Amino acid sequence: MHKLLTVFPEDIYIDIKAPIDKFINFMLQNWSPFFEAVSKSLQLFLNAIGSAVNAIPWWLLIIAVFFASYKVSKKISTSILYSALLFFIGVIGLFDMMYATLAIIIASVIISLLIGLPSGIVMSASKKISIFAVPVLDTMQTMPSFVYLIPAVMLLGLGNVPAVIATTIYALPPVIRLTSHGIRQVDVEVVEAAKAFGSTKMQILFKVQIPQALPTIMAGVNQTIMMAISMVVTCSMIGATGLGSEVIKGINRLESGRGFAAGIAIVIVAIILDRLTQGVFKKNE
Amino acid sequence: MLICVAALLISSGCTQQSEKIIFGDVGWDSMKFHNAVAMYIAETAYDLETEEISGSTPVTYGALKKGDIHLYMETWTDNIPAYSGDVQSGELIELGVNYDDNIQGLYVPRYVVEGDPSRGIEPLAPDLKMVEDLKNYKDVFTDPEDASKGRIYGSISGWEIDEIMRKKVEYYGLDEFYNYIDPGSDAALSASIAGAYEKGEPIVAYYWEPTWITGKYDLLLLEDAPYEESLYRQGKCECPSVRLTVCANPQFVKDNPEFVEFLSKYSTSSELTSKALMYINENNAEYADAAKWFLVEYDNLLDEWLPSDKAELVRGELLK
Amino acid sequence: MNENNKILKVENLTKMFGSKKLLAREMLKKGLSKNEVLKKTGVTVAVDNVSFEVRQGEIFVLIGLSGSGKSTVIRCLNMLQPPTSGKIYFEGDNIKNYSAKQLREFRRNKVSMVFQNFGLMSHRDVLSNAAYGLEIKGVSKKEREEKAMEIISMVGLSGWEGQSVLNLSGGMRQRVGIARALINNPDVLLMDEPFSALDPLVRREMQFELLSIQEKLNKTIVFITHDIDEAFKLGNNVAIMQDGKIIQTATPEEMMSNPSNSYVKEFTNSADKTHVYSVKNIMITPSCLAHSRNGAKNALKQMYDNGFSSVFVVGDKLRFVGILTLERALAVRNGELSFNDAVYTDVPTTQLETPVSDLIPIAAKSAFPIAVVDNDNRLKGLVTKAAVLASLS
Repeated sequence: MHKLLTVFPEDIYIDIKAPIDKFINFMLQNWSPFFEAVSKSLQLFLNAIGSAVNAIPWWLLIIAVFFASYKVSKKISTSILYSALLFFIGVIGLFDMMYATLAIIIASVIISLLIGLPSGIVMSASKKISIFAVPVLDTMQTMPSFVYLIPAVMLLGLGNVPAVIATTIYALPPVIRLTSHGIRQVDVEVVEAAKAFGSTKMQILFKVQIPQALPTIMAGVNQTIMMAISMVVTCSMIGATGLGSEVIKGINRLESGRGFAAGIAIVIVAIILDRLTQGVFKKNE
Repeated sequence: MLICVAALLISSGCTQQSEKIIFGDVGWDSMKFHNAVAMYIAETAYDLETEEISGSTPVTYGALKKGDIHLYMETWTDNIPAYSGDVQSGELIELGVNYDDNIQGLYVPRYVVEGDPSRGIEPLAPDLKMVEDLKNYKDVFTDPEDASKGRIYGSISGWEIDEIMRKKVEYYGLDEFYNYIDPGSDAALSASIAGAYEKGEPIVAYYWEPTWITGKYDLLLLEDAPYEESLYRQGKCECPSVRLTVCANPQFVKDNPEFVEFLSKYSTSSELTSKALMYINENNAEYADAAKWFLVEYDNLLDEWLPSDKAELVRGELLK
Repeated sequence: MNENNKILKVENLTKMFGSKKLLAREMLKKGLSKNEVLKKTGVTVAVDNVSFEVRQGEIFVLIGLSGSGKSTVIRCLNMLQPPTSGKIYFEGDNIKNYSAKQLREFRRNKVSMVFQNFGLMSHRDVLSNAAYGLEIKGVSKKEREEKAMEIISMVGLSGWEGQSVLNLSGGMRQRVGIARALINNPDVLLMDEPFSALDPLVRREMQFELLSIQEKLNKTIVFITHDIDEAFKLGNNVAIMQDGKIIQTATPEEMMSNPSNSYVKEFTNSADKTHVYSVKNIMITPSCLAHSRNGAKNALKQMYDNGFSSVFVVGDKLRFVGILTLERALAVRNGELSFNDAVYTDVPTTQLETPVSDLIPIAAKSAFPIAVVDNDNRLKGLVTKAAVLASLS
């Protein structure tokens, strides 16, 4: 009796580990053509993004950031600051690393938006789907990423492809949530009005709901980008290249300087991307 | 009532801190296993409380020097650049060699060379024997991110062996045909090998023995030129066995002379360790259970490691 | 106004929210109250067996407190809320039988709606908000913008077309709402408490604006309000709703003078009656009159006989001339003034249909009772200041 109160009874035990292992092994042995196809097409996509990013010379990127931040902030001092920060990444020798990181972030964000925006729309339209989807999204955001990173490596191999998938899993929820939230939040009367004038469902969606929800949706996009950046280091633990792997190397070799240099570069990338995207959605408000 | 509990927690926390022996765990199986054996003996023969703290090599190694962690049961001396210096300067005390007959190098699944009719796998690289032979097989080990080259799954960056492996790839001219990939973490490296093996795909990767991976999967070590100390650092020959030592914090050594005597006698072998790891993998066993199984199976070790009265204490406990 | 031209006809309309509607209907039939039904089945009966008719060109007002079901009724009229049961005829078609496409066409061409909180799209400017109805019909940009400009100027927003609707005041926003509703040239305008969110001053202005638009376009309007003054001011017919039922449908005057139960009476008592009462309701027949041809002596006699200090003077065929006071009459008798000079001709007059509210400022200024005349200036009666004051209470 006493023991029952202090220690959880051992007799009540369900083994969920073995079935999960079995399932992953089953996928490995039977679905590998499928995963290979996924992996190959993602690789192609990533290569395309990578070469697009790499086609931008360093000075053009700095100039582009200068003008983009001026357009967003309307302050010459801000745009000088941001382009100087970007220049600084080059000065500390991490410009190429940043390009590799950017390619992964951009690819993950594009995939997240391609999946997230339609999913958010669907979720906003149906309470049933949203009841089912919310815990799934919570799981995606809170499940420690290494838990699915390792099976992802087994299924898809090492490198940038599983990194993009892991980043997408982590970065996807905010854009889905905020798209759905934004559309639901659109004034009922405005939607009623659109209906009352004989709009089709698609007209309501594209002429009213999405434009009205745009500030919220853009906030979701911004969060998704930030989440993607926050996965950079984790992804390098499964072989993703770029700034994250510099951080890992710094840690593994106890080279704090190296770690910090790459860390600072990640912070700069995050700040610039955050301010630019925030500026875009604030302008939409 | 609450205050009492809090006071109890604080006091117990204090005493724990001073009495517990803290083992470092850098994440791999063999080390966890040896920790479990030593912990079992510490508890049964010496009535000491034990605890295991996990972390990456650099973090735990720093803690070991500071005394937050008391000892490593399996120190991969070659992978810690600072190790020999720290031992010389007395910041760490090397108590003995756990085992030094381990292997590391480039591995391929055996089916890549010999095929596996039971799984319907053709030998894709029948003449692959030496590291050098990899030149001829870049199309077998295609890099999915760069189809023009093959891929070698390398060591984790920051390990000392990583530099050596990179030099080796250059030395044999493999860099022309292969990308040497940093897997980022040993979990990712094992996952890559396990994934490829389960799918029956070819892979060539740096790995080491003893591990459950080498115990579970039939991997073939690619041969290399015989070991020569002068050539090894340049990657021109096979890797020597690493001395896997038991090392401890000096203050701890001073405080626990009896237990330290056992530690300095602690010695196993790569083979014994592999067997224990396979036992764990096959039975889905906990490390503590494996330690008990191991001490029953290799009973004679107790006599080698311990004074007879202590050995009997352990045996008595094992019988329960 | 053609009495027989019923453009909208609602028969036995019921709308329930909840899943056990069949059970709820049974209970209603057995005579259980809405609250009992809600407790037992979880079904909210928003509209309970409502019938009414709307004539072509009239303003039909549905009035009730919040929760009375009026907003649900109006939403059934364009199927924003599909009715649970009952029939809604538009020009003889039961709109419940419309296919999705027919319904869309109905909404695009026949009926449009104005909302309490305007329901404007904040991401669009005034022009494209107003043009929305044409846009979704696929009308070309040029054509729809031309049309929108026309309507915008009609609602008095010329010059604002390029502004974001967020920059407009409430009253201006609702003008955009009305412009948007008019652009398709619908037969029926559904207005769901369109002025409730506006300041009282702006509201009065918008009511006036609506009446003048109505005069120009002669639309059929179904108008929802909780303000009895608004209802009586705008409505040709008013239906009063309570707990999902229509209690009485009548003209404002009828409802004032003949409330069907105490609830209606209470409601109408709260109304500013001056809007409802016109002069004819409060005028009295003058008990003494003086013909101009009979001279001052006769006038003095009339005053003397009836105990008044002044008298209305009429000419041939009772045409109103003016007022003669006792003082002036005496002056005429004494030869100090001629009769014609003695009569005050510059006195206020009013007509039978004028709302009493319009008399208030006149009565306040005038020293005399107000004469009621017809179009031929014939005297019909008089309104005393006391009667105007009484109608205010």
